[in-house]
Amino acid sequence: MVGSEKQGRPRLQRMPVARLKGGYNIGLAGRPVSRVVDLAVPGRLVLPLVSRCFRFKDIRVEEGARVSAWTVLATDPKRFSAPLIAAYGGTVRLDEIAGHIVLESLHGTLSSGSSGSDRDAQAGARDGSRGAGASGGSPADIRDQLVTLGAWQFITDARTDLPVDPAGTAKAIIVSTIHLEPFVASAEALLHGRLDSFVRGLEYLHELTEGGIVHLAVADDAGFVTDLAALVVHHSWCRFHTVTPRYPFGHPLLILRRLELGRDSDRPAWATRTAGVLAIERALSSGAPSVERIIALGGPAVSEPVHLKAVIGYPVDEILQNRLCQDDVRVINGGIFTGSDVPREQSGLDVECEGLTILSELRKRHMLAFARPGLWRNSYGRTFVSRLCQSGPAERLNTTLGGELRACVSCGQCMDVCPVGILPSVIHKFLHADEIDEVERMRVDLCIECGLCSLVCPSKIELLSDMRDARRLIREEHEVQEKLEAKAKREEEKRLAAKEARAAAEAGA
Amino acid sequence: MKLILALLEKTRPLFQKGGRFTALKPIYDAVDTSLFSPLARTSRAPHVRDPLDTKRYMSTVIIAVAPCLLAAVHFFGLRVLAMVLVSYAAGGAVEVLLAVFKKDEISEGLLVTGILFPLILPPGLPLWMVALGSAFGVLVGKELFGGTGRNLFNPALIGRVFLALSYPKAMSSGWIEPGQGLVGRLLEYATDAVTMATPLAAAKSGTWAALPDLFFGNVTGSVGETSALAVLMGGAFLLIIGIANWRTVAAMLGTFVIVTAGIYGGDPHAIIWHLLSGGLLFGTFFMATDPVSSPIMNSAKWVYGAIIGIATALIRNFTGYVEGVMFAILLGNIFAPVLDELFVTAHVRRLREEG
Ligand code: SF4
Ligand code: SF4
Repeated sequence: MVGSEKQGRPRLQRMPVARLKGGYNIGLAGRPVSRVVDLAVPGRLVLPLVSRCFRFKDIRVEEGARVSAWTVLATDPKRFSAPLIAAYGGTVRLDEIAGHIVLESLHGTLSSGSSGSDRDAQAGARDGSRGAGASGGSPADIRDQLVTLGAWQFITDARTDLPVDPAGTAKAIIVSTIHLEPFVASAEALLHGRLDSFVRGLEYLHELTEGGIVHLAVADDAGFVTDLAALVVHHSWCRFHTVTPRYPFGHPLLILRRLELGRDSDRPAWATRTAGVLAIERALSSGAPSVERIIALGGPAVSEPVHLKAVIGYPVDEILQNRLCQDDVRVINGGIFTGSDVPREQSGLDVECEGLTILSELRKRHMLAFARPGLWRNSYGRTFVSRLCQSGPAERLNTTLGGELRACVSCGQCMDVCPVGILPSVIHKFLHADEIDEVERMRVDLCIECGLCSLVCPSKIELLSDMRDARRLIREEHEVQEKLEAKAKREEEKRLAAKEARAAAEAGA
Repeated sequence: MKLILALLEKTRPLFQKGGRFTALKPIYDAVDTSLFSPLARTSRAPHVRDPLDTKRYMSTVIIAVAPCLLAAVHFFGLRVLAMVLVSYAAGGAVEVLLAVFKKDEISEGLLVTGILFPLILPPGLPLWMVALGSAFGVLVGKELFGGTGRNLFNPALIGRVFLALSYPKAMSSGWIEPGQGLVGRLLEYATDAVTMATPLAAAKSGTWAALPDLFFGNVTGSVGETSALAVLMGGAFLLIIGIANWRTVAAMLGTFVIVTAGIYGGDPHAIIWHLLSGGLLFGTFFMATDPVSSPIMNSAKWVYGAIIGIATALIRNFTGYVEGVMFAILLGNIFAPVLDELFVTAHVRRLREEG
């Protein structure tokens, strides 16, 4: 369906809705407005050594050292030596907070070229300070440059959602601008005033993949749809897809499958998101390292949900100061579905941070909560009055489990909501009966870990954890099997070699 | 409210590990979590959860059968309420004893079974039989399979089949004549009321009850099933809030109408008469849609509903039994795992192609 498009025409394709099933937009209070607030220079930087994909184990600086801005503090030896870069200069403290590098007495400012708006970038280009190799160097040079500047980290393998090796190749790259998880930075906030940079970033991606197709997925209700479509319309290498804005339809893996690019495995597809395109553009246009992030600050416990421009390592407690409407909160790095809670006093923004979501912790019990009509409840099913009359303010959801753990009642909600069409309740049952082969037959490998099944389950079963466990078990089993096979193969080879040697010896005799 | 909460908090240690009444913890927990929403918090992603829980899920069925219950009291007297209480007490006792014994939680499935069971019994059945059947249904129909969510059959139906096999005479004679007029039997207990034949039994000997009587429930039959109007109200509620799966309902009623039309040569009166009489509607909306004993895939529910609908029509018209819904649903329950296997396998094969 993609290939049949005529070249050079606007390819405004709508993802066929029938093929994107399930999904659900939870009405969480505290959605950040698109305005981006610049944060002041922090008192110190607290840089996490571990994030979702990266482990910066290779520490390059010493305790007490004075480093300047843009120093590489540590790298990830397992992932193409991805760097952890200091946004400011300062004094290194390695042991102050476990798992973090702390920078004190900050000095130096962010370079002027790095603030990233179109005007700045154009000014930079006029000055001739365009980064080396933006379009001059070979793709390999460009990739090296991106790795050094911390911008390559944004490119993932579309199939595994993990960072890719810069030495690899791809025939296509999926760019998803659909960030629907509550709450991560929205495309509106990221792209405001930066559409030109974004399109330049797409051009770089096209070059990086050595002529690969760029599949651009945009929510069909996004404010910038027409403007962006007009900008990319002349590029024959860019396919423009509009997608129904429902979580988790922006997930690159879903888009990949719907485009049926997933089957051809000899040249993998890459994926990146809005922030990745902008970071790559900035790195190549101005040569500045990618140390800034635009993050969402949202959730029911935030007094004024906005987007923030902050640097990596910005201390979480400094961000939250005077921005919460209550104190007893859970701070989540990322959104409510896939984020993880962070200790408020002991952490800073990690390199992958897209947002902070703040929920109030549950402390109060409600009388006969299950029997109330629920005029304002926020529920997937239709058992609350709110679903019939759609009235009342949105519920300020907190961290309540909302019930007790029970056996599965086969209500089918997890099945209906699952965007990849697998059967979480069946997988759950097989997993707990230790029937791993059956779990594998049920295609748990298709799960994109969106977390919707756990959200809707009335029996409060931790389905997402089950899916993760199941996938891990299957992976381990395969590894064991591969090892056994490899061992058997080695022994067989040894035996053959011995036999040959014997035969040769006999022949010699 | 504050007082109750304080009382619950104060007595909590008694039921915790090492407390004086540790064994009764399931009862304490059930009371505690029914009165107040629990304090349990999410410990991992996703960090928020949907407010729907099994308590609410199950209690919607009670709301849905309320019209049937009211109609039943109107036609068959206050005795119906006694039957419901006895059913809850007996089934609850078994459930609680087992929960205490297994140190398990008390499951909410009882809310549904306890009220559906008396509604499918003859209104004149002795109360001790109600108790026995309810206890048997919970024990054998549910707990022996491992509790709510693991049972193969609908526990209320198991209880009824047990009674029908053990006390065939009582189970085929307790058909009280419905109360007449505006008040009906609302004010009487009705143990000494006259009994009569159910419309389906009477039809076998050539007497057809009038359609309006069937529609409003002014006929005899199992406690909750006689008023088609009340059943439809509850059924519509369950369909609207999505607790009953409309596919099962559509397939069951659709096939029933088709087969009945075939038998009666398309006579509309006969079709409507059969639709409204007996336990067909009640069984469709309240028993066949039980998610635990149905197949899980939506596509399989069509076949499941069709099996029950066809079987009901055939049993009614071609066997010695006057009513076939209950057996047809049990038959469907037997087929459910097979259907699951077939449809789930087909489904994952489709996924494989998708890659
Ligand atoms: S099974 Fe996986 S993909 Fe499906 S809803 Fe659950 S987490 Fe999402
Ligand atoms: S949502 Fe929960 S209770 Fe419902 S079918 Fe899935 S696992 Fe079972």
